[in-house]
Amino acid sequence: MRRPLLGVAGLLILVAVVELLPRLGLVDTRFLPPFSSMVSALGDEAGTGGFWTALAQTLRGWAIGLAVAVLAGVAAGIVIGGVPFLRAVTATTIEFLRPIPSVALIPLVVLLYGSRPQSALVLVVYAAFWQVLVQVLYGVADVDPVVRDTARSFRFSRWAVVRRVVWPTAMPYVVTGVRLAAAVALILQITAELVIGVPGLGRSIGVAQSSGAVADTYALVIVVGLIGVAVNASARAVERRALRWHTSVRRDL
Amino acid sequence: MARRLVALFATLTLAVGACGDSGTTASGQTKLTIGVIPIVDVAPIYLGVQKGFFTEQKLEVKLETAQGGAAIVPGVVAGQYQFGFSNTVSLLLANAQGLPLKAVANGVASTGAEGKDFGAVIVKKDSPITSAKDLAGKRVAVNTLRNINTTTVSSVVRKAGGDPSTITYVELPFPDIVSAVAKGDVDAGQVVEPFLTIAAGQGDKQITSNYAGTAPGLTVGMYFTSTKFAQENAAAVAGFTTAMNKSLEYASAHPDEARAVLTTYTKIDPAVQQKMVLPKWPSAVDKASVQVLADLATQDGVLTKQPDLTALLP
Repeated sequence: MRRPLLGVAGLLILVAVVELLPRLGLVDTRFLPPFSSMVSALGDEAGTGGFWTALAQTLRGWAIGLAVAVLAGVAAGIVIGGVPFLRAVTATTIEFLRPIPSVALIPLVVLLYGSRPQSALVLVVYAAFWQVLVQVLYGVADVDPVVRDTARSFRFSRWAVVRRVVWPTAMPYVVTGVRLAAAVALILQITAELVIGVPGLGRSIGVAQSSGAVADTYALVIVVGLIGVAVNASARAVERRALRWHTSVRRDL
Repeated sequence: MARRLVALFATLTLAVGACGDSGTTASGQTKLTIGVIPIVDVAPIYLGVQKGFFTEQKLEVKLETAQGGAAIVPGVVAGQYQFGFSNTVSLLLANAQGLPLKAVANGVASTGAEGKDFGAVIVKKDSPITSAKDLAGKRVAVNTLRNINTTTVSSVVRKAGGDPSTITYVELPFPDIVSAVAKGDVDAGQVVEPFLTIAAGQGDKQITSNYAGTAPGLTVGMYFTSTKFAQENAAAVAGFTTAMNKSLEYASAHPDEARAVLTTYTKIDPAVQQKMVLPKWPSAVDKASVQVLADLATQDGVLTKQPDLTALLP
């Protein structure tokens, strides 16, 4: 119970600092308005339909991108991880493609889709896919060979081995991959909106910035921060629930 | 596997991307997507859409904002946008690089009035810089290097008797230029409205109106399409030009409505909206001023060869 309280205290100190710095004249109010004016700008924003549309667009883009990346990552990971030949053939290629920052693909997606949601989707899927794939590969590699051989000697079908042996072992890795991918997907979604102008909160930030509306800009940044916190919290909740049988989550061992 | 991945992404991207926006609706309206930047310059097209000038021409127009002209030119070439808005020097650059673009309507022009234009160079209140000539040897912030703002600032400095080659240009987004000038990170900065009014409200001084000083009535931006689209859709292009010219004339005649339409696509503070200097929106491209820009850009080395203005301009 102490830890959440300390967390709240830390947040309150941050709020107080952001409120006082401009008020005391330590930083220029033109470039960092006090926290209270950010909040009032946020209140004005929340009264407009455009804000909620943008919020929905951002969340929808994030969710679709994440879902595609997770499905593709898990499927590809189990297939590649389960076939040693494929694993050997793809290892170098994956290590080559994975570190390419998604933002480097911006010029390409602009050519393909301009400022449509598809531009953001490609970037989100590309960035999130590797997070999941690599974790799944580790998970599949972690399968106990004795258990696998035992299942085989009992004539488990290929599918049954995946279902009963590979999946339970890989599950904690998959969930970790999803949690990492959820955060990366949000970053890329906002980046695409801000840099390319894909509809969503990121674009609203860009518009506010190019209109010189400083308090509005900060207000929207705060909203994005809150979404990030919510995404992380819900990913952790999903993790606890999906792995409640696993020793890393169970406390009663 | 690489091939499989590429195939996976290709299928995925094609599946979600296979929905072009150009087409004809049941009511005989041609659907167009137009790439614009959420700035004051494009107020007339928002006003024109609102007033129905485009539906009159059987055009169903969708305005899509991009975060900068850099995304609009490739978007028009690739056919994502049928029309786009861009500044004149970017179009000259694209033309010199052989990109098949055609300007179809005027976009925005300088007011031609020194000190009362929508773009200017600002300095801090107590800055020793008092004229364009003093900018020589200084650090000047612009939003894009080797583009219309460096070309026009260099031009006014040269006219005032300074040597523009001694200026160090620093690239910063417009909102950051105001703070960089205030903090002294740069000696001066070129900004456009609404940042000019915001900066003036903070005590900054205008040194020179770089657009007006380059050529009175300088054509700063234009609406354009790809030559391919222009050849294949002559009727839609003619309709767009007619509607756009009507929008420009309407915005020029009704500045209050032009200010009011800004609230629909920007977040500019209402007080600033009322106070700021609006650009001119003539319906004709000032061809002589475009030639001036082409010559200046060639002289500065921004353009490596003279662009083909007869192919580019309407």
